[in-house]
Amino acid sequence: MKPNILIRFTQLITAAAFLALLAGCERDITDLEEASFPTNPEVFIDGFSAGLNYAAFGGSVPTAFSVDNDVTYDNSAASMRIEVPDANDPRGSFAGGVYYLDTGRDLSGYNALTFWAKASQSATIGEIGLGNDLGQNEFVVSIQGLNVSTGWKKYIIPLPDPSRLTQERGLFWYAAGNLDGNGFTFWIDEVKYEKLGTIAHPEYAILNGEDQVETSFIGVTKSIGGLTTTFNMPTGINQAVSAAPAYFEFVSSDPSIATVDASGTVTVTGGPGNVEITAHVGEVAAEGSLTMQSLGDFEQAPVPTHDPENVISIFSEAYENIPVDYYNGYWEPYQTTQSADFIVEGNRVLNYTDFNFVGIQFTSPTIDASSMTHLHLDIYLPNPLNAGAEFNIEIVNFGEPNVSGSYTIPIPVDQAQQWISIDVPFEDLGGLTSRDNLAQIIFLDESENIPGFYADNIYFYNDGAEPPTPDEPESPAPTPTHDAANVTAIYSDSYDVIPGTNFFPDWGQATVVTEIQIQGNNTLRYQGLNYQGIELASSQDFADMDYLHLDFYTANSTELYVYLISEGPVETGYTLSVPTTGWSSVDIPMSAFAPVDLGGVIQLKFDGNGDIFLDNIYVHKE
Amino acid sequence: MKSINIAKNNFLYVVILLLWVMAIGCDRDDFQKLEEREWNLVWSDEFDGEAGELPDPTRWAFDLGTGEGGWGNAELQSYTNNPENVSMDGEGNLVITAIQDGNTFTSARIKTQGLFSQQYGRFEARLKTPYGPGLWPAFWLLGDNIETVGWPQCGEIDIMELRGQEPHIIHGSIHGPGYSAGNPVSKSYALVNDRFDADYHVFAIEWDEDKIDFFVDDYLYQRIENTDVPGEWVYDQPFFILLNVAVGGNYVGFPTGQTPFPQQMIIDYVKVYEEVK
Repeated sequence: MKPNILIRFTQLITAAAFLALLAGCERDITDLEEASFPTNPEVFIDGFSAGLNYAAFGGSVPTAFSVDNDVTYDNSAASMRIEVPDANDPRGSFAGGVYYLDTGRDLSGYNALTFWAKASQSATIGEIGLGNDLGQNEFVVSIQGLNVSTGWKKYIIPLPDPSRLTQERGLFWYAAGNLDGNGFTFWIDEVKYEKLGTIAHPEYAILNGEDQVETSFIGVTKSIGGLTTTFNMPTGINQAVSAAPAYFEFVSSDPSIATVDASGTVTVTGGPGNVEITAHVGEVAAEGSLTMQSLGDFEQAPVPTHDPENVISIFSEAYENIPVDYYNGYWEPYQTTQSADFIVEGNRVLNYTDFNFVGIQFTSPTIDASSMTHLHLDIYLPNPLNAGAEFNIEIVNFGEPNVSGSYTIPIPVDQAQQWISIDVPFEDLGGLTSRDNLAQIIFLDESENIPGFYADNIYFYNDGAEPPTPDEPESPAPTPTHDAANVTAIYSDSYDVIPGTNFFPDWGQATVVTEIQIQGNNTLRYQGLNYQGIELASSQDFADMDYLHLDFYTANSTELYVYLISEGPVETGYTLSVPTTGWSSVDIPMSAFAPVDLGGVIQLKFDGNGDIFLDNIYVHKE
Repeated sequence: MKSINIAKNNFLYVVILLLWVMAIGCDRDDFQKLEEREWNLVWSDEFDGEAGELPDPTRWAFDLGTGEGGWGNAELQSYTNNPENVSMDGEGNLVITAIQDGNTFTSARIKTQGLFSQQYGRFEARLKTPYGPGLWPAFWLLGDNIETVGWPQCGEIDIMELRGQEPHIIHGSIHGPGYSAGNPVSKSYALVNDRFDADYHVFAIEWDEDKIDFFVDDYLYQRIENTDVPGEWVYDQPFFILLNVAVGGNYVGFPTGQTPFPQQMIIDYVKVYEEVK
């Protein structure tokens, strides 16, 4: 196409120059206008207008469009017939295509694309318009959701700024899907460009007409969306069309603070300072504006240091994030929190404004964080704080019923305007009794003192420590493996035990002794241990035994000793390592109890503190 | 006194010219040759006040509130004298603004009742209409004796009415005993490929003891003679002027969710002339 234009242009210039010479006037070649393109307004009247081609969109039914000579508007010779496929049609999932030219047309003298249309049933055409040229699509305009009835009716698509359409190749395009799974047919006829005096009052908007204000930093980029054009139609009602950014001229009030490019992408380049981004179409100012309050250089959140192996990440550039339903659920009706997330030097940052509460949800799938120990997040409070600010975090586990735990962090006044790293241990989230089906993290401002915050690096991690031991064992002690022939047992379900042992002798101790069953396995429980004895029915000869075996479990004991006692009494204690992580099994050499007379052992004793669970107390040979 | 000359019409002439124009497709203003009349300006308001100023109280009074039964037409708006509903724009215009607040609407209606009225002459206004379904702007006259004889015995001359859902059509009508409300003597005038809210147009009547002529941009589109009405001719007494923007009502229907608000009628001037005989 380009060479053609050049050739034509050159020809024109040559011809004009020649004419100028002939006429003997003093016209300068630089006065010549650019090569002009045909102004033919017709797209499809009773057939394709000159030069028009059709191409179906990828994924659409290629044969959806045909020329119909029977069903036409006003008994004309032909119309355009579009058959929208049923759901699951193997040929394609929708009907859609482009009517385009190889060489452009000058449409700047018109202000609307018009056509007549009807459908086999009342239907909605997903999107229909102009400016799709199978290339840059620079000047795309469309009406989304055009309702068509079973009678012929004229439709008007206003042109946001015809002066831009001096060499437009995309004359018409459409895309239509099925209605509740069912296909339908629609017809379009008399497609042409017109200069209508019956459409009026164009209004343009960026950001859907809102005046937005954002705190920002050097390096932040933001795309301005919500670009619409509204015309008042001959019926007095407004029709909105979506318009490509190329129709809008974006303006920065101070390019030293932020620049904006032709596509409406704003980049903050300086600061501190404020900048207002506005737009106009031709001479008409667009409604809506973006005010960026640049604070200057952005301080990125600290780079996380946890091993990716021990991390389940919700939002961080440092890790691979799990699928997240949303970072802001806009929970109606009470949530006021808005999102104005931004990207600084490639790093996305969540930015919550008008904060009261906001939820992040991840249910596809939910997270099993049983092996994790903490929630981590970095927050930055951009506004100065009043005393008494508190940041609340709630984590929700889905189930029957849902369970959740809350955590409150006081934020001192001097912590504002800097990153605060928060690590929430699951064990501090009272109420979150399980975390195998985590689905939501909710941030709240119960102090009503935090108007907004940035967040980054939200993830669960394991800090390397084994998970803490529950107060009570969830499973019984491990089943002993020593050969019964080598064992003399005092307390165990696995061996025959010495009969007649008194596990509850009254030695004036404070300890409360009970025998409990864990999954059917008998276990001794010492609650509030100070000391506790075990009296054998008679003196036992353990002289040929090599070890005393014990299984013990305690989440809270900080001191624990086990003693063997022989007549005298002669007793010697052995230090047990507490607290335990789950059940702890020890085989203590009998020699450790010297000078106890191993040939005449009469008692055992435990000394220390805390709540202790005991099982499989026996002596054995190697 | 300012005086202007406007041609008096000659129907035969018009018809011939019309045929001629239809044949060559020329602009209508080139052919409608009316018999010359001389007018003296006797009353006018150019609305040259400061922005936000209310209409000149020596020329205009207000109708306020919702009237009885929505001013007899089931209209939805409540009329106010707040500057946001009626004030100068500082650029030589009076702006009457219809404002939506949820399901309620405010607007304004001003009148010269008790301040100025005239029998016969030329009454004209240059204005831009509001638009949108349910908007009902009007430039009209009522007989001075409405307080004593009531409506429609007093007579009503609607120089311009428009339904916002048809922003390219205006209606000129008279209401009198036996031909009022839904049954006036009326005619419409439509713009081709244009609309009355897109630019200013001049709406006028020229009224004497025999007839009332209705004009848009000095084009005569309707003549009502005193023998044309199916009842009594009640137009031989002084009438006063009204300007208003109604919302909803029997004439226009309700505004819809698609009606754009606020809506403005922008009035450049109102002028009244008497004929110099």
